[in-house]
Amino acid sequence: MAGPLAPTRTPETTVEEHSDLDRPWVTIVWNDPVNLMNYVTFVLQELFGYDEPTATTLMLQVHHEGKAIVSSGPRERMEHDTSRLHAYGLWATYQKDS
Amino acid sequence: MKPFKSARGGDVVARLDPAEAGVVGLLLDQLEQLLEADEDDVGGDPVMARLLPDGHRGDPELAADYRELTEASLRSGKADDLAMVRATLPPDGGEVRLDPEQAGAWLRATNDLRLAMGTRLDISEDTEPPEEVTGEEDQQLAVYYWLTALQGSLVDALVAGRGGRR
Repeated sequence: MAGPLAPTRTPETTVEEHSDLDRPWVTIVWNDPVNLMNYVTFVLQELFGYDEPTATTLMLQVHHEGKAIVSSGPRERMEHDTSRLHAYGLWATYQKDS
Repeated sequence: MKPFKSARGGDVVARLDPAEAGVVGLLLDQLEQLLEADEDDVGGDPVMARLLPDGHRGDPELAADYRELTEASLRSGKADDLAMVRATLPPDGGEVRLDPEQAGAWLRATNDLRLAMGTRLDISEDTEPPEEVTGEEDQQLAVYYWLTALQGSLVDALVAGRGGRR
C-alpha cells in the first residue's frame, strides 16, 4: 500500500561483537482505547508482513497486557518501524531491549 | 450510510448520506486546521500529542532526535491523506469507490479523526455510544461511533478483498 511512509524495509545492519550492541532495540505498540482491534491486526499485517494468526496474537497481547513488542533489530530500523506505525496512528515507541 | 464492502478489482465501495458526507468534510477541515496551526498555539494540545506522538519514553534526547527525523514526513503524509480523502468524498453524499491506495488514505485519515475526537472526548474502553442524543457532547460521541462503524467496515472490506486476491 502506498502511503506517507511506504512499507519499504531498510536492510539489516550487521551487529558488531560488542556487549552493548548485542542487545537489540525493539519497537513496542501500546494499548489505547481508540484503535480498533481489527485495524491493529490489519496494520501489523500490512507493515510487517505477519500472517493473520501472528498479527492477531500480537494485537491481543497489546489489548490484554497493555503492550507488545512487534519488531526488533538495529536502532535505525526501530525508528523507521515506529514512524511507520505512527503514520497509521498506532501508539508506538522504540527502546533498547530490556 | 451503507458501510464499505469489497468490490471487484480490489476496490471498496460505500455510500454516504448527504449529511454524513458534510460531517466528514467538516471534520477534515478541522483536522487540517489543527495540523497546520502554529506550533505556539497547539504545542501542549493533547490531540497533537496523540497524532504526532513521542517515539521514545523516558529519554528526552532520543525523543527529540526521533521527532526531528520523522515529524516532517508524518505531517506531510497526513496532509496527503487528507487531500486524497477530500478528492474522493462526494460533497453532497453518494457512492464512495476507492482503489487500494485511496482506501489506505481513508483508513489513516478516519483513524486520525477518531484519535482526535477520542482524545477530546476522553474516550476510554468503558465508553459507550449515547442512548439518546441530548447535548453537544452526545452529538460528538454519536459522530465518533459513526466514524468507528465506517472505519471498521473499511478494515473488514479490505481484509475481505485481500482474501480474494490470495
